[in-house]
Amino acid sequence: MSSENTPFAIKFLRTFCPSQLLEEIEGDLYQKYLNDEKLIGARRAKRRMLWSTLQYLRPGIILRHKKRKPIPQLAMLSNYFRIALRVMMRNKGFSMINIFGLALGLTGALLLGLWIQKEFSYDQFHADKERIYKAFNRNTIEGQLQCWDNTPRVLAPTLATDYSFVESTVSYSDYKAAYLFTVGDTKLMMNSGAFTDDKFFSIFSFPLVKGNPTKVFENPASLVLTESFARELFGDKEAFGETVTVGESGNSFPLTVTGIVKDLPSNTEIHFDYLIPFKFLESLEGKDTNWGNNSVSTYVKLRTGVSVDMVNSEIADIAKKHSKEDNTTEVFLYPLTKMRLYSRFENGVPAGGRIEIMRIMGILGGCLIAIACVNFINLSTARAQKRSKEVGIRKVTGAGRGSLIFQFICESILVALGAAILSLLAAYIALPMFSEMVRQPLSIDFQDLNFWAAILAIVVVIGILAGSYPAFYLSAFNPVKVLKGGEITSSGRNILRNLLVVFQFGFVVMLIFSVVVVTQQIEYVQNRDVGYSKDNLIYQFLTGDLEKNYAAYKTDLMQSGVVESVTKTSSPVTENWSSTWAINWHGKDPQSKIDMLRFYIDDNISKTAGLRIVQGRDLDLNKYPTDSTAALLNESAVAAMGFKTPIGETIEDSGLKWHVVGVIKDFVLTSPFQKVKPMVILGPKGWFTVVHIRLNPNKPVQESLDKIAELFSKHNPAYPFDYVFVDQAYARKFADVKSTLTITGVFSSIAIAIACLGLLGLSTYLIESKVKEIGVRKVLGGSVLSIVRLLTVHSLKPIFWAILIFSPQAWFAMHWWLESFQYRISISPFVFLISAVAIVGIALLTTVLQTYRAGQANTVKSLRSE
Amino acid sequence: MGKEYLGEFEELVLTLVAALKEDAYGAAIAQELETRIKRESNLSAIHVTLYRLEDKGYIKSSFGGSTNERGGRRKRIYTITNAGMAMLKAMKESRVELWKLVPQLKLIVG
Repeated sequence: MSSENTPFAIKFLRTFCPSQLLEEIEGDLYQKYLNDEKLIGARRAKRRMLWSTLQYLRPGIILRHKKRKPIPQLAMLSNYFRIALRVMMRNKGFSMINIFGLALGLTGALLLGLWIQKEFSYDQFHADKERIYKAFNRNTIEGQLQCWDNTPRVLAPTLATDYSFVESTVSYSDYKAAYLFTVGDTKLMMNSGAFTDDKFFSIFSFPLVKGNPTKVFENPASLVLTESFARELFGDKEAFGETVTVGESGNSFPLTVTGIVKDLPSNTEIHFDYLIPFKFLESLEGKDTNWGNNSVSTYVKLRTGVSVDMVNSEIADIAKKHSKEDNTTEVFLYPLTKMRLYSRFENGVPAGGRIEIMRIMGILGGCLIAIACVNFINLSTARAQKRSKEVGIRKVTGAGRGSLIFQFICESILVALGAAILSLLAAYIALPMFSEMVRQPLSIDFQDLNFWAAILAIVVVIGILAGSYPAFYLSAFNPVKVLKGGEITSSGRNILRNLLVVFQFGFVVMLIFSVVVVTQQIEYVQNRDVGYSKDNLIYQFLTGDLEKNYAAYKTDLMQSGVVESVTKTSSPVTENWSSTWAINWHGKDPQSKIDMLRFYIDDNISKTAGLRIVQGRDLDLNKYPTDSTAALLNESAVAAMGFKTPIGETIEDSGLKWHVVGVIKDFVLTSPFQKVKPMVILGPKGWFTVVHIRLNPNKPVQESLDKIAELFSKHNPAYPFDYVFVDQAYARKFADVKSTLTITGVFSSIAIAIACLGLLGLSTYLIESKVKEIGVRKVLGGSVLSIVRLLTVHSLKPIFWAILIFSPQAWFAMHWWLESFQYRISISPFVFLISAVAIVGIALLTTVLQTYRAGQANTVKSLRSE
Repeated sequence: MGKEYLGEFEELVLTLVAALKEDAYGAAIAQELETRIKRESNLSAIHVTLYRLEDKGYIKSSFGGSTNERGGRRKRIYTITNAGMAMLKAMKESRVELWKLVPQLKLIVG
């Protein structure tokens, strides 16, 4: 029998026999076969061999593992953990530093992780999410290819009828207008609803508690409420099928509740408390078929298997095809699932978006864990001497290097586990505060197995990450040397340790630097001259009968003595609701598409808002009846239009001619972080939604408000009295950047705390190992001060390096951040100085007490024992 | 060593490992069992026993040379350890002790 020609029996054996046993068993089987062959002939020998082979099908063979001694490993494992616990208990201080540092870092990372996870979950819950798209417009404006997601109302129906690959479409628009909802005695003003179309609930997966998702909007006079809004309106009574009176500007309509939708999850870009079909709006006002009027969002659900690239090339010219005028705007679809994180476009192509913040947060979280790991690595290697005897004994009694490494990694996993438990607790406690900071509700799902798996994975990864270097280092000790009591030479380790500290503090430098820059930027912008006077100024929406009774209301207000001036406008003075590039003026370049903000007033805006007139005069209907078509320009608009003498010029907007009577100083209408845009303030021939009221500064505010409330209920009895202070509305513009500041502030504090814990540990160790040296120095006449200086300089050296190396990086990072603001500070060298001083100061505070105590210590005690 | 004991077959195999010295491997042990005490045994039983003895620390193994009659496979040569030898001796002594308790009857003839 040749070996090439493997018999069936052997082949069969190979299918189940562990490979490390194969050679021996095969050999023995062959040998027996040859023996048998001689005695009983080939045929019977073969049969006997097969039989013998079959007998190997037994647990003793099949289940035999490659590793021969699994049980002693387990026994050692419990020993490792016992030793680890004892070591931790013996060095309580250092264990605290390790565990608390890691716990701090983990808490930070955990919170950030929850946030990131939340951001990534936006609109991922829709059943057909990969087929849902939002329509975008694309056009060249001011030489730039711009993309925006406000689309014409006609787009949705046109897409649905003209293209077979479209399954369904809806327009969706949450006009911020306030409606009055009346049910019996309950009256609620709500501006948090939206208009949409029939297919809304077949595109999005918002489950209905009551009502048929495909039929809720069959009847135009229908209304869908969220569960909580229905409860607000109806209390515990059944809302479904009931009638709600919805009122707007003096008109009111009975709408039937045809659906109750479960309260929307927080991880969606779509927000509403109620939905009203466009059909209803259009039954009153007619259909908006203007392809140039970009007033709604359009959502599209494609049929399965349709490629969006194909669709985009098909629908690009839809506006051009359908509109009567020349329309160069192209339409394309963008996935709904990318709207949250990837919806910024630059020059017509997607260019990131919120994802950039999320990436930075991810890096921040990683760095927090990393600097906590650095503490662990540094302290374990620095204190290696203490463990060297143990390593020596273990080696002498036969421990292999592998098992030592395993032991030390077990130790670090134990530390990581302790830290993880602490951090779960801390994160749970801090979550409500953190949710407020990031301004969306976050939660930990403790029932989610994936969450626990992730935590476990993090613990193991951190354990290995932080533990492997010390493990390799400690396990490499030569037992002969360490047991003879030799010093461990560790200059190389010192360099590495210092490098790690440099990295740690470098990270802290960057964070402190950014906190300083963000603070300065906020302060700078807050001190910006807004161009109007925010104090004593309120606005209210022209609700109910107020528009009708406005003249009387105004007269009453002016006569009340608590009001200085009243002006009605198209939008609050802190918001821009309207802009256009279609304004024409004398000498306009026909190619020019400068976007102008549009604002309507009746008169006296300079008095009411405190705007400053630079040239000409304010609108005044009493003196100049022709002011109904008068206009004001801001300085930027004058510059943009290129007027030398703007007064007397005429501008044309939406077919109306407006004559310019004055120029106002630029004021901040939109974001105080951006440049003031060109703006036209047009006269009373426009539309109005808001009334601004300047209070008499000599009267107490509450008294004035009471008086106004009285007049308000006289002229608008059906509606609740509501108002907004302009200074508060303005302050809200800082919410975003302030939350950036809080987040960077909090995480800098965490990073500083971790790094300082590490520094504390290292300096404690340094002092411990230099007790004799300090004693000798003192005996030879060294002063306490000189000793403190010596120790401090030693601890602070890596921090100086960190400042030197990482300041430029910090500068670049913050320069990038500042570039998103047009109105910004330039980073002064002073910032470097502030952050450097802050860090050195903190580091000094951390170490100086210990070093001072070390310098003061009694030399007799430290030198007595040898 | 108290509770440690060997089964009858284990004892046989262990004894043969000790006896065969450098020539103790699966097939050889089977051969010896057959020729010396006329005991038919299958190879798998011997192998499993050898592994068990090795786990208990009574024998250790290393690869020996390969021969043509084994299809080029190496032998795994087993050698008895000190613990194994002690065990064997202990067992033998306990047998002898017990044997002494048996009344030394003469062979009753007829």
